[in-house]
Amino acid sequence: MTAKKKAAAKKASTKKASAKKAAAPAKVVRAADGSYPETRILSANFGVKDSWTLPVAKKNGAYKSLEKAIKTMTPAEVIDEVKTSRVRGRGGAGFPTGVKWGFVPTDTDKAKYLVLNADESEPGTFKDRFLMELDPHLVLEGCLLCAYATGLDVIYIYVRGEYPLSIARLEGAIEEAREAGLLGKDILGKKGFNVEAHVHPGAGAYICGEETGMLESLEGKRGHPRIKPPFPAVEGAFGCPTVINNVETLAHVPSIIEHGGAWFGDLGIAPDPDNPRAMGSAGTKLMGLSGDIKTPGCWEFEFGITVRELIEQYGGGALDGRTIKAVIPGGLSMPVLTADELDVPMGFDALVKVGSGLGTATAIVMDDACDMVEACENIAHFFADESCGQCTPCREGCHWMEKIFTRIKAGDGTPADLDLLEHLFVNIEGRTICALADAAVWPLRSILRKFRHEFLAKMPGHADPHAADAKASDAAAPVGAK
Amino acid sequence: MSTANAAAGQSADRGTAQPPTPVSFPPKEIKKQCDGIVTRYPTRMAACLPVLHVAQKHYGGWISPEVEAGVAEYLGVSDSHIRGLLTFYAMFNSKPSGRHEVWVCRTLTCWLRGAVQLRSTALEKAGVEACGVESPDGKFLVKNMECLGLCEEAPAVFIDGQPHVNVTPEKLSELLDACE
Repeated sequence: MTAKKKAAAKKASTKKASAKKAAAPAKVVRAADGSYPETRILSANFGVKDSWTLPVAKKNGAYKSLEKAIKTMTPAEVIDEVKTSRVRGRGGAGFPTGVKWGFVPTDTDKAKYLVLNADESEPGTFKDRFLMELDPHLVLEGCLLCAYATGLDVIYIYVRGEYPLSIARLEGAIEEAREAGLLGKDILGKKGFNVEAHVHPGAGAYICGEETGMLESLEGKRGHPRIKPPFPAVEGAFGCPTVINNVETLAHVPSIIEHGGAWFGDLGIAPDPDNPRAMGSAGTKLMGLSGDIKTPGCWEFEFGITVRELIEQYGGGALDGRTIKAVIPGGLSMPVLTADELDVPMGFDALVKVGSGLGTATAIVMDDACDMVEACENIAHFFADESCGQCTPCREGCHWMEKIFTRIKAGDGTPADLDLLEHLFVNIEGRTICALADAAVWPLRSILRKFRHEFLAKMPGHADPHAADAKASDAAAPVGAK
Repeated sequence: MSTANAAAGQSADRGTAQPPTPVSFPPKEIKKQCDGIVTRYPTRMAACLPVLHVAQKHYGGWISPEVEAGVAEYLGVSDSHIRGLLTFYAMFNSKPSGRHEVWVCRTLTCWLRGAVQLRSTALEKAGVEACGVESPDGKFLVKNMECLGLCEEAPAVFIDGQPHVNVTPEKLSELLDACE
């Protein structure tokens, strides 16, 4: 882990203007040379010595927002502030967080729970690990603000089992917070504000990052996603109202409470007034890069940096002597972008518009040495392996797709296999309880359509029956569109 | 897939006519820890995953049918419920797992950065043909794992729960040679 610490320390020294708890940072503008700066709000304390301990975190302003909320705001005001901020969930789906909190009933006598989604098992994604390892008190403060706003009793932090350091740091933070009166009964002297927090370790299952699969897993069962409704806000963990948020989402809340929702909403990309579905991308985001680039890593930006800027200015560009061929912008589950499509901002709506999606905003880069058929086999294997097995289209379909890619790789495929794949995509996507099946189809279908020539190249002697209309259909059906 | 086949595949002890004799669980070394875990949840079943983690560590890296039955009794669930968890979650082993457990990440980023060679190296060192099989000398269990979340420093390998990053085949050989 030393390399990472070094990188974090380097980042801290290059940009000391860590604005988190001091003056609110101004809206980002590209410099004269076109460079896109980092805006370090969530990551302000990354690289600070012992940043994960309570004394250091407190010195850097931890729990001040919680104190402010408890002493000067009602729970409804906290929810309103989060709604005003327009912060959208950072786990992949991008649901407005304030709206989600608003769904939690206030007139129930059942217990209420927060399940913090720290299962981060989306391939290529590691941003939440940075937060949990380097600033667990920021994460915990976000959880407590959510607890105050929605009146909940217990916080379960569901961390994937493969993150031993995150688990240790969070458990340490919970212990410190409990001793300091930040957890337990009458928190910070507020009568009746009682919250407990526990870390719940996962045990290696991608599907447990799906919110209802996570609830099943928390309850001690196999992680089989549930049919919705009922939605978790009404009937979630143990049959009680439950809020489920991503780590990064809740880590944003302390600064929203400190500087106000309007400040946060001004950062990033504004909503499109002419399109109610384009809700904008407010605030900053941890963005990551991995794969075939010189300097993989995780940085925080205001929304707006393009995929190409991210790769060239922060990822160091392609490896020596190679060229970038394709990028999956948000974890593994999003449609792929070709090298010509990278001038698109990393934002919720902008990426949807070009037929992909922001996902977790951690891009995987593939260069010209990557065989796209083999990449598809690798991706299909992942989803086949991680399918929970409840729904037939996913359980059977993912294995079937993998077999077809293996066959094509071995040189035994024919163009009819490509038609069969298209047929499978249609019969898998949207026909299952959860989105894992969709997530399997999106990258595979986009690679097949955009790199069809690589598949055909493995079928010598076979002419493509659709050669004439391939171009037309590409234009007519944007990849990733339902 | 028939249940009998699946059970026979789990371990030599599984799938026999006689139900296993449950161990007395939790043993005193981990009793306090397990009892503490149970108090965190409104149901005993919810303690299954964290308790199985503790049990697996205590019993040498795997859950035998006897431990499975003991945990089931302790948490008030059926043996088959626990079996269901062991087969669902990749981190649990229902077969002997060697003295050292090696996880090689196989998902896209690590694959791009050389995970295939790492898997070959690990299998060669262990002297086995495929992942998920304990080496004949009982030293290694190599597991093919999906994304371990260390992508910025790919390729990644875990040895006995400890992450190693930017691993080359040479470095992995050294790490495995250092295992007793």
